Amino acid sequence: MELNSPLVQARDVTRKWGRGTAAQLGVDRIHLNIGRGELASIVGPSGSGKSTLGALIAGIDTPSSGSLVVDGTRIDSLSNDRLARWRGDTVGIVFQDFHLIPTLTAEENIALAAQLADRSVRRAERRDRSRAALAAVGLDSKARRLPSQLSGGEQQRVAIARAIVTRPRLIVADEPTGSLDQASGHEVFELLAGLTGSGTTVVVITHDRELAAGADRQIAMLDGRIATHTAAGVDMSPFVETDVRSPAVAADADLEPVR
Amino acid sequence: MIRRLLRQLGRAPVRILTSVVALALAIGAIGVLAVPTVATSSLRSTAADDGVPQIVVPVVDTASFDVSSLAPALANVDRLEAEVLTDVVLGDGRAVDVVGADLGAQQIDVVAADQGRLPVERGEVLVTAGIALVGDRFDVPLADRTTLEMTVVGVGGTTFWSDEDVVFTSIETAAALAGIDGANWLVVRTLDTSSDALRATSRDLRAALAAGGVTTSSLPLTIPGGRHPIEADIDQISTLVGLLGIVAGLVALVLLASTVNTLITERSREVAIMRALGAPGRLVRRRLRRLALGIAAAAVLIGLPLGVLISNLIARLLLDEFLGITPGIAVSLPVMAGSALFALLGARLVAARAAWRVTSRPLAEALRDRSGAPFGQRLTERLSVRLPLAGLLDRAAVRNGVHQRARSLAMLAQITAAVAALMVIASLATTATGYNEAIIEPVQWGSRTFVPGPGLDIDASVADDDPRSEVGADIDGEVAGWEVSVMGFASETKMIDRSMNEGRWFANPGEAAISTGFAERIGVGVGDDIEVDLASGLQTYTIVGLHPDRDRSVFVDIDELAADMLLPGMGNVVMSLDDQPPSYLTGELQVQRLSDLSDDDSGTTAILLIFTAIGAVVVAVAGLAVASGLAVGVYERRHDFAALRAIGARRRHIFRLVVAELVPLGVAGIGIGLIAGWWGSAAIIESFEASNAVEIGFTYATGAIPLTVGVVLFGTVALGALMVRRVSRRPAAVVLRGAA
Repeated sequence: MELNSPLVQARDVTRKWGRGTAAQLGVDRIHLNIGRGELASIVGPSGSGKSTLGALIAGIDTPSSGSLVVDGTRIDSLSNDRLARWRGDTVGIVFQDFHLIPTLTAEENIALAAQLADRSVRRAERRDRSRAALAAVGLDSKARRLPSQLSGGEQQRVAIARAIVTRPRLIVADEPTGSLDQASGHEVFELLAGLTGSGTTVVVITHDRELAAGADRQIAMLDGRIATHTAAGVDMSPFVETDVRSPAVAADADLEPVR
Repeated sequence: MIRRLLRQLGRAPVRILTSVVALALAIGAIGVLAVPTVATSSLRSTAADDGVPQIVVPVVDTASFDVSSLAPALANVDRLEAEVLTDVVLGDGRAVDVVGADLGAQQIDVVAADQGRLPVERGEVLVTAGIALVGDRFDVPLADRTTLEMTVVGVGGTTFWSDEDVVFTSIETAAALAGIDGANWLVVRTLDTSSDALRATSRDLRAALAAGGVTTSSLPLTIPGGRHPIEADIDQISTLVGLLGIVAGLVALVLLASTVNTLITERSREVAIMRALGAPGRLVRRRLRRLALGIAAAAVLIGLPLGVLISNLIARLLLDEFLGITPGIAVSLPVMAGSALFALLGARLVAARAAWRVTSRPLAEALRDRSGAPFGQRLTERLSVRLPLAGLLDRAAVRNGVHQRARSLAMLAQITAAVAALMVIASLATTATGYNEAIIEPVQWGSRTFVPGPGLDIDASVADDDPRSEVGADIDGEVAGWEVSVMGFASETKMIDRSMNEGRWFANPGEAAISTGFAERIGVGVGDDIEVDLASGLQTYTIVGLHPDRDRSVFVDIDELAADMLLPGMGNVVMSLDDQPPSYLTGELQVQRLSDLSDDDSGTTAILLIFTAIGAVVVAVAGLAVASGLAVGVYERRHDFAALRAIGARRRHIFRLVVAELVPLGVAGIGIGLIAGWWGSAAIIESFEASNAVEIGFTYATGAIPLTVGVVLFGTVALGALMVRRVSRRPAAVVLRGAA
């Protein structure tokens, strides 16, 4: 694996459910690279396929066709258990609804993610890592609180701490600010954006174009396909809608044209 | 309601169908409570058809007595018919009863031909099924040493002699076989059929016969109230079946409560949205109640026919085994109505409570929380957080069990019921086997030989020169209202173990030893006097010892008993230490071998089969109930499981989580179930001992514990694995999308 190769490489990735005329299309022939340490945002209206694309990148769903390589591993052909192990090693996921285990405290939720990722880590070290993760999101004083005893913003911070405790190369956050007020939403986004500083790639799926604008790479989805694509301030839309491979773009290691 | 149920079925087909099937099976299992009614109804119908007598009086010979004078002379006697009872040994060595009656003119104990016709001529016979075919002929020796050729002209019988090998013939033919001039078996129909009236009439009959010089050879048999003679035996088994039916009912109750509760609780969010949109709580509660009623109604539709089927199958098995009667289909309307009401009213009541709970939660809170009240609000939940458990998955599992306490308790109750039912069945089997062994334990004879004919008809001196045999007596008597066996032995007998639980074996005139269990039940002990009602009248004996015999027996000196029976120097059985009758006995003999007694376990097997069938139903109901509860539990937490998978949990982690929650319930259920099984089976045996005044001796089936524990734990783990497999099949993203 080359360090300067893209972390996420999607080629002709399609996800659909059902068959024939009743088939429902999630994403259609997506072609995309996302670089290491990048903050990428995926925006689009409801039903545009942004959450499906996020789920595919995070490895919690598998493509119907196409190839998807993340951090050097082709994840579209892994078995469920190997995919789960890969997720534990590589990805941290943040959900809109937090999805914390309601019967575990904040610290236990985070420690569980660390345990699932690597059982060889000793309990004391797991505890230290959990507390460090909690401290990183500013919740070290609420380690023993149950999810029901935390506000929405606090629960989302715990979810972020759970995502970062395994020191993943990729974090996928699906509408992480969707259940939060504007101020909490900005705080959470800043927290996620800050993670790229340590080389982690962060993919944020959001409705909020204002938040998305702060990302290094902005991908706009419509009807399961990439509608516009902006990277490093350059509008890549012409390449999105054509099948013509631009020599100039092809030379760009971070971006390949989308068919 | 049906349309709504079908719509709900489309939403959650497996859960609704599992609930309906489990509840239907439970209602079906309650149907076993109808077994006594179904069996009794068939028996009484047969008894009425055949004109079963109310009193049967065995006598020695009515030869010189005008039997027809008895009926007009005794107030309660409506009709009296004279019959002859004797035995013959057929060519194949099989001993059969011979009943001589005025065939074709009978009104009591009416013999009917299923094939062929009733006998008319001398030598013609009708046999019960299995002995011979119409047209068969066989020779039997007569009392005067000549031979009579018998021709089978019909196959059939009468209910009184059901399940016995009997040859029916004319009074004259039977009398020739018995070597008597008159009759020796009087059957009586009475006007008042109550127990007290029959007892009084029986006394009057004995007195009248004694006044006429007719010796009563055994105590009269009384059959009150149109009952069938075997009804008492069937009643006891039916009571046992009913007890297991109650266990099934309790499981059904828990199942009903948990099913309805779960169905309503999982609609909490839907209810909250309906309320938010303006639906009044009353309307919402009505919809929920109707949903529960729909499920209960569907279960009733399946469960009632199932209950009728189960009860009739068991009743048929019982009657077929014990009577050889194949009954028609019968139903118990009270049991059917009761089980339907139980399901419908139960569903209505539980649904009302659950519906009230989900509609009375503050709307904002109900809308916010998808899975009911959030964890951590109750004290028990907060305490469970402090439990020092090592593994995080174990902590999550145990806390979830505390959170879903109603469901956990329901599953605990279901596992308990299943274990208890299994242990009751196993313990009854162990006890029955132990009892059968204990019954023959004191026996030292190898064979007992009777000669045909009533009364004491063996001269006791025949065994004087044979050290390996003794003449004894085995006659019916009554003590404190209980039928007893009065056994005459020599005081130094070698035919029975004379070791006593208390006191000593009799040695002097007027002394008796009696069965320990029977003595305890009637409240007598060593030193007390007992009055024994013999065919010849009341006799009083002093108890000098309590014997380990498990029956209701009174052991007295053979010479004294023969004298008390007005036949000094006589007996009715020859006991031998050998497996064969002594050589000095010739002619027609009925031989009972100890080896036959110890090998004959057909009755026990039949009863065990019935219990096993009922136990299987109870365990199936409990298993389905556990599966249903588990399925709902896993389904409700599918989003948690999907989130865990998203952060790296494999299927084995989810399995561990589910099993960690189930195992404590399983272990607790097994523990309580083992205790409940011990208590339940001990209580059943105790009730049997009390109702029979015998010592059965309860043996708890400790040998079945490993199997029971294994079955329950394996079943629990297998169920868990199955559920986890189902819930892990869909991609985490798809499941989580459904949560949003």
